[in-house]
Amino acid sequence: MTVAEKLVLPEEPSLEKKMRERDFNRFLLNLGIGLLVLGTLVAAGFSFTPYAPNAADFLNRLSPPSAEHWFGTDQLGRDVATRILYGGVWSIGLAFLITSIGAVVGTIVGLAAGHFGRAADTTLMRVTDSFFAFPELIAAVTIAGVLGPSTTNMVMALILVGWMRFARLVRGLSVDLAHRDFVTQARLNGLPSWLILSRHILPNVGPSLLVLWTNSWSRTILSISGLSFLGFGVQPPNAEWGAMLLDGKAYMQTAPHLMIFPGLAILVTVLSINLTGDRLRDLIGGEALSD
Amino acid sequence: MTDHWGRLKQIFASSGRRLVGLLAVLFGVSLITFTMTFFAPGDKAAAIAHARYPDANGFPPEILEGIREEFSLNEPFFVQFFEWLMRFVQGDFGNSFASNTPVWDVFLANITETLTLTATSLTIGLIAAFCLSAISVWRPGSLADRCAVALASIGAAMPNYWLGLLLILLFAAHLGWLPAYGTGTPAHIVLPALTLSFWITASQTRLMRAFFLEAKSAPYVETLRLRGVSEAEIFWRHILRHAAIPALTMIGLDVAALLEGTIIVELTFARGGIGSLLAGAVLSRDYPLILFLVMFFALVYVFINTLIEILQDFLDPRTSLFAFKDADIRKGARS
Repeated sequence: MTVAEKLVLPEEPSLEKKMRERDFNRFLLNLGIGLLVLGTLVAAGFSFTPYAPNAADFLNRLSPPSAEHWFGTDQLGRDVATRILYGGVWSIGLAFLITSIGAVVGTIVGLAAGHFGRAADTTLMRVTDSFFAFPELIAAVTIAGVLGPSTTNMVMALILVGWMRFARLVRGLSVDLAHRDFVTQARLNGLPSWLILSRHILPNVGPSLLVLWTNSWSRTILSISGLSFLGFGVQPPNAEWGAMLLDGKAYMQTAPHLMIFPGLAILVTVLSINLTGDRLRDLIGGEALSD
Repeated sequence: MTDHWGRLKQIFASSGRRLVGLLAVLFGVSLITFTMTFFAPGDKAAAIAHARYPDANGFPPEILEGIREEFSLNEPFFVQFFEWLMRFVQGDFGNSFASNTPVWDVFLANITETLTLTATSLTIGLIAAFCLSAISVWRPGSLADRCAVALASIGAAMPNYWLGLLLILLFAAHLGWLPAYGTGTPAHIVLPALTLSFWITASQTRLMRAFFLEAKSAPYVETLRLRGVSEAEIFWRHILRHAAIPALTMIGLDVAALLEGTIIVELTFARGGIGSLLAGAVLSRDYPLILFLVMFFALVYVFINTLIEILQDFLDPRTSLFAFKDADIRKGARS
């Protein structure tokens, strides 16, 4: 064997890998452009709308869509388009917060279950299973309702019912990873647990986590608006999409625009996040199934 | 044959282990449920007193104290929890505060409507999803396939109460074909069932399509095709059975989601049923009813999922309990 043969040349990345990278970069570019356009539109909306979300105008009640009021006005004469704009902050922002907290809690539980031995695994997973046994909305309605319907209580309820998916995913992946060579080697080299977890396990769990997080985000938007629609979430004077639908329900016959536009806003938002998430999953091959 | 028995034993052993885990989860479930109501704000003794003497205004402290004594409300958390759990296990669910009748009777009076609604929606949804996904995988990438995928995406993003409102707007308010609210005639169930089943159709079409495609691309399908087995037979006898197992799991999850969907749909359409019963109980702080209903939802969910996991073990073609021949063929094809 000659020296030249032993020499390991840096491997040329395979065609497949190059293509995947190109697709991924293109996706990031599209996502960036999309977000930029959306951000500009929303910012323009906020700065150009002449109305305040809760400013009543009793002379202009329940008026249909027009040039002044693009999506019409509601029973108190408030501009629906403006309210939808402000409502997005509630729906999308709260869902973002809830999902992120859930992801952090779930990841910690999942990592602990996957890494600290059988006893920890069994205990933590039984706890997770117990929480998982409650249908999300049922638990959220009960918690939010018993504590008293308010935005804070709804957020708490949704955090309580939202972290288990992350725990299950992270636990499953880290159990798989724990037997991989690089983790065994790290352990044999005496690396402390937190370093193994943060340097070796977490980066490998990351992509799947991101996919699940996206999926969870859109589900949470649906839950928030659903709870608000049932009266257990954001309370009516506030312009949340579900709360707006609850408001508009009574005027369904005379002013159908009151329930068309907030619903469309939810549909379009959730659909866009879902489609982005699907694309993301295709590209990075996350193992997050839809459950 | 020995291999066969070994596998069977394995299944029973894993089922046994699952049952032990199930008990632990059930305990956890009841602990969480009880905690939810235990730490709720408000005086429970006053709520019970109100239920007993609906006409009275304000109660002397002795009566409240007597009620606290009777319902052990002064005891520590775990004593109360175990007392409640013992009674629950023995089938004593207490009386509803609101109507002062046994919780069980209130439940029985409402469960039929929910069951009718869920069963109808599940049937419609599954049939529609099966047809859509079968059409969809027949020619992947065709116009029909694209439409089915688009429908599934929209369905997953559609808030189901909004769909309900739109259906009411169209069929009840504008066309006047169907009643919007309440229950009574068979026509009353059409709109709620459509609302719920649309969601089932969307989620199941997406999953079934994926499972069908996966089963279709398996190497043994090509083998069968080369042997001259007809496309129809390949689909009905082979692809369907392979896709059935993963689909079954997802139906289990859907049943759970369906139960939680009832709460929204029953409230949107002002129907009776345990979903609207729970919402009412929560708002009036009817604790015995809340405890029972939340436990009911959780137990149904847990049992369905455990049942499905066990069923999966039995139905898995690799267990070869029902399909010696097929399994042998596949083993040969793979090696």
